[in-house]
Amino acid sequence: METLGYLMDGFGVALQPHNLMFALMGAFLGTLIGALPGLGPANGVAILIPLAFTLGLKPETALIMLTAVYAGAMYGGRISSILLNIPGDEPAMMTCLDGYPMAQKGKAAEALAISAIASFMGSLIATVGLIMLAPLLARFALTFGAAEYFALFVLAFATLGGITGKNPVKTILAAAIGLMIATVGIDSTGTQRYTFGSLHLYEGIDFIIAIVGLFAISELLFFIEDRAGGGKGPMIVNKLKLSWREVLAIMPTSIRGGVLGFIAGVLPGAGASLGSFISYTLEKKILGKKGSFGEGDPRGVAAPEAGNNGASSGALVPMLTLGVPGSGTTAVLLALLISMNITPGPLMFTQNADIVWGVIAALLIGNFLLLLLNIPMVGIFVKLLSVPPMYLLPIVTMVAFVGIYSISNSAFDLYFMVAFGVLGYFLRKLEIPLVPIILGLLLGPEMEKNLRHTLDIADGDWTALWDSGLAIGLWVVAIVGLILPVIVGPILRRRMQAAAGHGNQTD
Amino acid sequence: MTLNDRIFGILMLVLAVAYGWGATQFPEPFGGAESVGPETFPKVIAVVLALSSLYLIVKPDPDNAWPKGRIVLELVIAVLVLIAYTLLLEPLGFIVSTLLAVGTLCWRMGAAPVRAFVTGGVAGVVVFLLFTYALDLALPLGVLSVLEGS
Repeated sequence: METLGYLMDGFGVALQPHNLMFALMGAFLGTLIGALPGLGPANGVAILIPLAFTLGLKPETALIMLTAVYAGAMYGGRISSILLNIPGDEPAMMTCLDGYPMAQKGKAAEALAISAIASFMGSLIATVGLIMLAPLLARFALTFGAAEYFALFVLAFATLGGITGKNPVKTILAAAIGLMIATVGIDSTGTQRYTFGSLHLYEGIDFIIAIVGLFAISELLFFIEDRAGGGKGPMIVNKLKLSWREVLAIMPTSIRGGVLGFIAGVLPGAGASLGSFISYTLEKKILGKKGSFGEGDPRGVAAPEAGNNGASSGALVPMLTLGVPGSGTTAVLLALLISMNITPGPLMFTQNADIVWGVIAALLIGNFLLLLLNIPMVGIFVKLLSVPPMYLLPIVTMVAFVGIYSISNSAFDLYFMVAFGVLGYFLRKLEIPLVPIILGLLLGPEMEKNLRHTLDIADGDWTALWDSGLAIGLWVVAIVGLILPVIVGPILRRRMQAAAGHGNQTD
Repeated sequence: MTLNDRIFGILMLVLAVAYGWGATQFPEPFGGAESVGPETFPKVIAVVLALSSLYLIVKPDPDNAWPKGRIVLELVIAVLVLIAYTLLLEPLGFIVSTLLAVGTLCWRMGAAPVRAFVTGGVAGVVVFLLFTYALDLALPLGVLSVLEGS
């Protein structure tokens, strides 16, 4: 019951008028960001982080806004999946399967409304799951020592590529690059490392600059290369006709999807893509011939959307309780926490209880806002989506510039951002994943601290790193997480491709 | 072709060696050397990076196609525009530099020139006003600061 009291306090924080206003703003921007093809949630949250600083927001307000952005982005991904058969982000891929056929039958508005309701259910279930699971996990995590934390960080990297990841070696390589960048600057003993005498590098490289550069600027370059400035053609939405019976008909599907998604989100290495995939396939299996999956079955829209939103809320569990994000977007949220001087992890639940519970309450409120926002206002989003990228991306880039500039008022940081953008372009070309780099940047200092701590206590004995049962367990999971995708990954990827290829002519 | 990964692997291997060597050159921390110091963690990373680069050199993935001809030019232009934007932000002021930078980018991405620069101008003015009046943050006014005095 202790939890309930905290949650009430959380609502007290989240319902303050200005917090509510920023949640609404975040939800709106998030939906928009998620809807734009290419500009995925991680990207969007990254661009908006500097904004949170410039606005001089308090930590809880900033976090509430960006959590709303995060939740909104998951809603937004479905709009272009349904209307254009182009997923806004990877997890929205499965929504194309039945969403687009529905739109072709002139039921676009219904498909959008159903997906919004299913998204809402998925998030709601997962947020309830989060409320129940997070405090337990946080209490358990209090027993972790330095060695366990080090193993946990390794686990985070090992599973980051996810079960569907391609080349685990590239994940490791990317993580190493991120960790290297993190070591630049003055370390805890006062030693200068890799600063080359440059004053700018003494304090290290600001990960926010790196994140915005790697994501936003490289995205601009990719759009230019693909010559995709013209946009994707017109989008038409009919007038909404949805009865309560139809809404009730998708409820069982949404609930199943939400639960499955939540589990996929909490587990390391699974993530939202898998959440939506599993819930779609399971739903197809359960309903079998009773459904018309692939031809515009409403339940085929509801299942992946509930799964995807469930997973995105589930992914907050390891991020909040252990300080170890499981996905790109939660990694970016972690960046925000760290830069606000809040140490994520189990202690946050006691030291910054108002923030944690404020965010959780905001997630609940944000979902109601999103549902309200998404059913009547979907027309506005569709209009904004019709703005071709050739106008939109330069403006997004400008917002990134203003954001970074206003943090420090220094042009030097902007050069750094552009450099990271070019680097990001080349790395993406080489299929080196960017998220492990970000995670390396974020976790580097903590990882080093725990390594040093462990070795100091053990007087330089490296076996101290796997001295306890818990640490060994974490190492084992990490190794399995690294090897499993090599074996299972190709099979799973082929299945997802096969499923996506079905009834999808353009791709 | 699998050249990309091999070249990248070699570059990263060189980086790993340089980085690892750099770690051995740190001055001894105040209070004498201990069993773990500032160099321990970088050395671990260097080893990890070296091993994974070696793997990449031995077992590279197939290449992605690099852009050719005009597209390379467009990409270079875009990067130059971003650098010029940074360079001119303070001297020219936010509004003028945004007009030029966003305008050029929109234009190069396929918008009609007039519409492109109008977009840039409007975006610049709107964001400037938003920052100055709503957020109370000063963006550089640059050449337009003559207007301020009047």
